Amino acid sequence: MASLSSKISITAAQNQLIQWINEAGMTEGSRRADSLRKAVELLLHQCSSMLPQYIENILTYYCDKSVDIRKLVIAFIEELSKQHPQFLPKIIGQLRQLVSDSVIAVQKRAIQASSIVYRNTLMWICQGASETSEMQYVWKNITELKLVVLNMIDSDNEGIRTHSIKFLEEVVLLQTPSDGAGDEFNLDTLPANMTFIDRRALEEESETIFKLLVKFHNSQHISSVNLMACMTTLCLLAKFRPKFMPGVIKALGDLHTTLPPTLSQSQVNSVRKQLKMLLINLIKHPSSNDMMPQLTQLLIDIGMSTQEINKVLPKDKRNKRVGEIKNGDAPAKRIRIDSPQSNSQGSDSNSNSRSDFNMFDDDSMPSSVAKQLVPTEDSIYEGLHNVDDVVNLVTHTLVNYLPNEMPSSFVTAYKPIPNSGSKAQKRSLAKMILALISNKEETVPLPVVAPVPVPVPPAPILSEVSSKIPLLRDDEEKVTLKNAVAKLQESTKAERQIESAVSRLMEETRQDHLKEEERKQKDKEKPVPPQTPSVPKLKQKVKLLKLQEITRPIPKEIKERLIIQAVERILKAETEAAIGGAAQIRAKFITIFASSYTPELRELVLNYILDDPANRIDLALSWLYEEYAFMQGFNRHPVTLQPKVHEKHDQNYNQLLCALITQICERGDPLMESSKDMLLRKVYSECPVVTDEAVDYLKHLVTEDKVALLALELLEELCVMRPPRAHKYVASLLCHILNENEEIRDVALKSSLKIYKRSTDAVRKVIEKHALLYLGFISLNHPPPELSDTRGVRAAWTDEMYHICLNLVMALLAENEELIIEVARVYGCAGSEAKRCVLRAVEGPVRAGAAAHTQELSPAFLALLDECPRGAETLLTRLVHIFTEKAPPSHELVSKIRELYATRVSDVRFLIPVLTGLSKKEILAALPKFIKLNPMVVKEVFNKLLGLQNPHEENSPVTPAELLVALHLIDPSMADLKYIIKATALCFAEKQTYTQDVLSAVLQRLTEEPEIPVLMMRTVLQALTLYPNLGPLVLNILQLLIEKEVWLNKVAWEGWVKCCERLVPQSGVLLASLSARALQALGSSPRLHRALQAHVAQMPPHQRAALPHHVIAFCQQEIAPPQFVAPMGVPMGVPAPVPPPMLVEPLPPGME
Amino acid sequence: MCDIYIAVVCSSNMNRSMEAHAFLAKKGFKVKSYGTGEKVKLPGASADRPNCYEFGVPYDDIYNDLLEKDKVYYTQNGILHMLDRNRRIKPSPEKFQVSTERFDVIITCEERVYDQVIEWFGSKRSVYNQPVHVVNMDIQDNHEEATIGAFLISDMVTKMAQSDDLDNDIDELLHEFEGKCHRPILNCIMFY
Repeated sequence: MASLSSKISITAAQNQLIQWINEAGMTEGSRRADSLRKAVELLLHQCSSMLPQYIENILTYYCDKSVDIRKLVIAFIEELSKQHPQFLPKIIGQLRQLVSDSVIAVQKRAIQASSIVYRNTLMWICQGASETSEMQYVWKNITELKLVVLNMIDSDNEGIRTHSIKFLEEVVLLQTPSDGAGDEFNLDTLPANMTFIDRRALEEESETIFKLLVKFHNSQHISSVNLMACMTTLCLLAKFRPKFMPGVIKALGDLHTTLPPTLSQSQVNSVRKQLKMLLINLIKHPSSNDMMPQLTQLLIDIGMSTQEINKVLPKDKRNKRVGEIKNGDAPAKRIRIDSPQSNSQGSDSNSNSRSDFNMFDDDSMPSSVAKQLVPTEDSIYEGLHNVDDVVNLVTHTLVNYLPNEMPSSFVTAYKPIPNSGSKAQKRSLAKMILALISNKEETVPLPVVAPVPVPVPPAPILSEVSSKIPLLRDDEEKVTLKNAVAKLQESTKAERQIESAVSRLMEETRQDHLKEEERKQKDKEKPVPPQTPSVPKLKQKVKLLKLQEITRPIPKEIKERLIIQAVERILKAETEAAIGGAAQIRAKFITIFASSYTPELRELVLNYILDDPANRIDLALSWLYEEYAFMQGFNRHPVTLQPKVHEKHDQNYNQLLCALITQICERGDPLMESSKDMLLRKVYSECPVVTDEAVDYLKHLVTEDKVALLALELLEELCVMRPPRAHKYVASLLCHILNENEEIRDVALKSSLKIYKRSTDAVRKVIEKHALLYLGFISLNHPPPELSDTRGVRAAWTDEMYHICLNLVMALLAENEELIIEVARVYGCAGSEAKRCVLRAVEGPVRAGAAAHTQELSPAFLALLDECPRGAETLLTRLVHIFTEKAPPSHELVSKIRELYATRVSDVRFLIPVLTGLSKKEILAALPKFIKLNPMVVKEVFNKLLGLQNPHEENSPVTPAELLVALHLIDPSMADLKYIIKATALCFAEKQTYTQDVLSAVLQRLTEEPEIPVLMMRTVLQALTLYPNLGPLVLNILQLLIEKEVWLNKVAWEGWVKCCERLVPQSGVLLASLSARALQALGSSPRLHRALQAHVAQMPPHQRAALPHHVIAFCQQEIAPPQFVAPMGVPMGVPAPVPPPMLVEPLPPGME
Repeated sequence: MCDIYIAVVCSSNMNRSMEAHAFLAKKGFKVKSYGTGEKVKLPGASADRPNCYEFGVPYDDIYNDLLEKDKVYYTQNGILHMLDRNRRIKPSPEKFQVSTERFDVIITCEERVYDQVIEWFGSKRSVYNQPVHVVNMDIQDNHEEATIGAFLISDMVTKMAQSDDLDNDIDELLHEFEGKCHRPILNCIMFY
């Protein structure tokens, strides 16, 4: 019944199991894991009978992609090995695979399971219930697995290391015979009849592994967690396998004195704490009895007091311990006591020096003492207990065999002896001495041995030196390690590959630099073996392959060379990168390399770019941007690439930019020549910022014939395209306005002007500043160096130079009229030559400006008029002149000029341009001054006044008649009569203006004057000559003059007489009406006399009778004798008709 | 390591470990709390007469006991409040040394507790070879410090949980955390 019900339940379970297994097969992820977990539970605990049937269903998941499921499989394997070891042959392969899984978590879990499986495997083999072939298969697999894990102690992952430590602990435990407690499995329980298991080999292997653990434990780069794991493991081994106790205690002692330097303070604290805890644990353990002194010593070193130690000790140990303290280690204690933390170099050296001493004393002992004895290890060991012997040995060696210099081999081979004075050490010393003796006796005479192991140098130096060369020691061990590992791994090809890969790597990286050192190392290896002849030979040393320990940092030079080579390869791969679509990434790489690494790399990349600049210019630009980003701090160099202090990274950008442009320009590559324009333009226009140096270079380029125009163009482009800094660039352009080459000058000027027109205020200011500077030059006595440097030191000014200086400012005038004020200022101070040039130069622009403002004057010009710099009057005049050429002077202008004329400018010429704007009064007032001017000017003035050449149809404020009258009325004291005559002559020359009517009006007006104007009669005569029809009018005037007693005015009278003469016979009437006195005065003119006579004669008699008697008398008078001619002393002669040419015009009477 | 299994351990499994337990549990971590002392000790009427209980006595019982003894006093010093909180989290204080669970991380709140934990590990052999990180952070045994400590522990555990490979990162992680929290940290690795 019971069996039936169990059968039923089994069937139910089986169904359930199948269902879950199926579910696991159908689902994915966590649900599969769930199903599988349930299936595993069921399989293991409830229906283990079905294991053979379904085990494969579970195991197949060992390569599932889910980490959880793989872990589950591992757990299943682990559990199987425990409960059903008969399945080991089936599961061992999977476990082997899982240990090498790609996921670290799985790997760790597998390693964890491995130690359990390993234990179970051994136990299963012990039972011997299975077939030998199966066992052999499992054993082979588990051995391989062991090797795989063994090598994992070198993994990069700390966790894997931790797990492998734990695994190795298990291996060592299992592969060593137990001393006492037999309940545990140990090597002894292995049956001896298994042919495939070599117990001795296993034990040896375990010892190798133990050494490996110790080595790992003492390595410098171990992490604190692994260090502690390792400590725990070692202590555990010491506890259960007492034969390891000395080694463990030594290792812990070493650790205590030299903790790994990488630990932080709290990690050090943790490690110390752990150490203390472990030591206490050890000392409590019965197996440590033999090592009590060392343990107590260590505990004291750690800082525990003897009381504390006593407290933790089990009672039965206490007495023994006290005894030890009393008879033993006093000196050691004393020395160590002063270094409780003993991390420091000083305390190290203390303990070291002591141990050195002992060691080498003992080393050479056999040479003196042990000769007579039959040397055995025991006898030497005994001898070492005798203090006197030891002292003798030491002194003897010191005196006789100490070499003067420490042999280099000693430096490399020497290691401090941590457990000196202990039994174990004495024992090993004895062993070494024995080996030495036997060695020596066989082959080597003493003196030859001596240099090898006998140095007694001061310990601090030793430890210093040895600390400097840890690698060599490691290398040396590596060699032995290699052998050991190779032995262990005979069958494992993969491992060997790793091994060779490692060594190949080493070779490659060091090949050049380390050659020498390798040679040295070889030299050293030879003498080393005799020094510690027995120990390393007895047992194979195994060392971990930990990359950071066995490799040395690549020397800087090699690193840099490698970097360069790498970059070279990247540079070479241009087409490949383009084909592969990695061109952009490649470019990015190159820019980063170039900007972040050494100058050599920069050089390399630069050359690369310059080899084919047309195609690689984009690369150059992106590099430039990279450098710019660094310069501006947008990018930061990674810490490892932090620039050295002396390297000025900020200048890299500038240097690169300059290097690029200079190389492009100057390389002279024919290929580059053709694209030079394009390249330069691209660099300048696309680089993030154009530095001052780059601009300077451009400026310099202008002086080079071939590229001058290009450079100018580029400068212009820079100014136009990069407005923010244009004010900096434009200066370089402006300086070429003074260039001696006319073409450059012109282009520069044009460009400047263009820039001026479209730029910001800042740029305009700069240009103006330069313009004014150049303008200022003209007021200097000698041309400034800017102009004359190429033309001799003290060159004189030439018109051309003046022009060059004026070019810019004149060009700007059209844009900025205010500059005219500055021009005027400088003009005021300049020399006459310069002034002349300015006047000439200013004409064009001003005229253009004037044309622009026809209606009104520009404010700048008005301001100039307001200011009127000293010395600039002529310029002003010229300007005003120009302004009034095209348009009548505005009211404003006139008033300004009037004002100026009144206050500042005395030169009357100033008024000329605005004459038509002035009032009649003003014109008349200025008239005396006008007529004194250069005849040409006078003519111009008159033209203006008379409205001749008047394009604007303006009305002259004075009529021609008024003008002529005014001329006559000029006070002779104001102006020389000569000028007035010339002026009137000008008037008369204008026959169109001065018509008969006008003249008659003038004459009439003149007659009305109370006093007869000096030139009146002359004018009358001229008018008469011009227009004979004026005769009646003239007679009338003459008549009027008679009334004014004209004969009293000599000059006028002469004129009067001439007129009369001209008007004979009509003038007879006049003559007849003359008074006696007048007639008397008339006596000088026989013609008039005759005319009078004729007149009287033809008069009717009644009229004749009415004549005054003096007339009659005069008529009857004979014509006066010649001496009576010309009472004024000058005969009038016949007045010539007014001649058209002014040069021969007659002078007024009496003026000759 | 998405779900790490955490134990928080103090001396009596009353204040510090429970504060952290509550905090971590709220944040959704898989967490347990323990004490390592011989007995569960709570302040009594005077310093030399603490209230002692065996581990395993429910918080509720302790609560009622103290309520009976001096309700006002134990309310004022916050003990009742604390017990009240504790009984909502789990039934009774647990002793670490008798626990059979295997954690990934054990956080201790006092150096003495850390020592006890390590000693316990040292006293037995590892069977599963499963590693556990033991981390100590000193926290004074009072309410305020316990709260601050719980925050810090939570920070630390969050960091640990974020790590992909805690075994590999723990050294650096703790070193960094130590710099941040300005408290000395002890840690080591033990094996179950």
